[in-house]
Amino acid sequence: MPENTTATAPVRAMRLGVAGPVGTGKSSLIATLCRALAGELRLGVITNDIYTDEDARFLRSAGVLDPERIRPVETGACPHTAIRDDVTANLLAAEDMEADFGPLDLVVIESGGDNLTATFSPALVDAQLFVLDVAGGGDVVRKGGPGIARADLLVINKTDLGPYVGVDVARMAREGREAREGSPVVALSRHDEASVRTLTDWVRDALTRYRTGNHAPVDPGPMAPHFHADQDAGDAGDAHPHTHAHGPTHPDGTTDADGTADAHHGHAPANAGHGA
Amino acid sequence: MSTSPLLLAMLGDARLPSGGHTQSAGLEPALRAGLTPAGVPAYLRSRLRTVTRVEAGTAVVARAVAAGGGDLAEVEAAWAARTPSPALRANGRRLGRGYLRVLQTLWPGPVDARARTWSRPVVLGLLAHRAALAPADVARLVGYDDVQTATAALLKLEPQDPLLTAAWVNGLLPDIDEMAAQVARLRTPEQIPAHGAPLIERWAETHDTATERLFSA
Repeated sequence: MPENTTATAPVRAMRLGVAGPVGTGKSSLIATLCRALAGELRLGVITNDIYTDEDARFLRSAGVLDPERIRPVETGACPHTAIRDDVTANLLAAEDMEADFGPLDLVVIESGGDNLTATFSPALVDAQLFVLDVAGGGDVVRKGGPGIARADLLVINKTDLGPYVGVDVARMAREGREAREGSPVVALSRHDEASVRTLTDWVRDALTRYRTGNHAPVDPGPMAPHFHADQDAGDAGDAHPHTHAHGPTHPDGTTDADGTADAHHGHAPANAGHGA
Repeated sequence: MSTSPLLLAMLGDARLPSGGHTQSAGLEPALRAGLTPAGVPAYLRSRLRTVTRVEAGTAVVARAVAAGGGDLAEVEAAWAARTPSPALRANGRRLGRGYLRVLQTLWPGPVDARARTWSRPVVLGLLAHRAALAPADVARLVGYDDVQTATAALLKLEPQDPLLTAAWVNGLLPDIDEMAAQVARLRTPEQIPAHGAPLIERWAETHDTATERLFSA
């Protein structure tokens, strides 16, 4: 059952994952997205709290979306499993959301704030954001990991707090771009309208690519990126995206020189949003 | 039946992606209601004699009805009549959808349009028919899954030495076999046992409205 293939224009809503450590502002970011996009897109939100339905309650109380369109999923104390190894509960919740309120344009799935290694499986989401915040420390972007390096978009949140926590926001964003070899980074504050627009523009872009069948879900992967010193390395079975020394952009849409199956890497469309 | 015993191992493995990690087999609310970790083996024996036997019997009957080309909706109705807690019925049907995904991917074939609303034991019975799993084995699967689900959840809720809980599971294997033997020959919906466990059912209802919980049920 190919749940998540997008070779042709898809019939279901795009599923956007929002991952990142606890307290970086994932719920608040989703509230911001809902506030900005609810007028133009039909939205649903699924939350994955670890111990409570606090995130769902926060979002419902924010009044940014019909409370019925915000649903919590229990993860059995395994937020990582629920978005990666066994996505059943989240998939069923996303299906239910569309069955009850469809057609929808976008279903946002919030992970239950796990650690830096927790990213969404492409079996569950079509695209994903990874959220860090300046209050967590400017050095976190340098710690790397799959979400920081290879999520579709890295968000550096709460930039308005930079001066209070002694973090140079511009530098943190620059180091984020370096860690991602140029893939998009948004420095976000919900009090900064321009930054919110950058975020919502990215979501609209991703949705357009998804709808035209030009977006393939990419697994940020649990592994450190590897480089192709030897282009003949037999790694066609790898499911995680490669990070190339020459940068991940393939503006002409060509496949990698090594000819490995790029269908599940989706470099060209997945990185079309560079420089956001 | 020449099915490999590995089929049962695979279906009983927690790594099967069917949504099982969201479950505690009622243990989370039971601990909240005062069950102690030391009481877990007795709790599991009680389940094997009551609610789990109903589940296993339903799965065996669903398998037989599917094999005979009968209507599984009748089995579903019989299961629902023996599962008085609305929370447990809703949870069982969510789990059914998880197993339906497993069924349709691993043993594809035409499935009744109503299957999306069927509970786990009914879908498991259909799966057992498709996969040629013996009646006693599908009953074993239900019992084993229940025991492993609760003991795995205990490690999250009230951590014990994991080898201690593994020993509990090992000690319960004869109880699971005994339960399976008792339901393996059932064939029709009215034969499904109807043992209630009022406390487990009440705890399930309380749990359903709890705002702080790790597990769905």
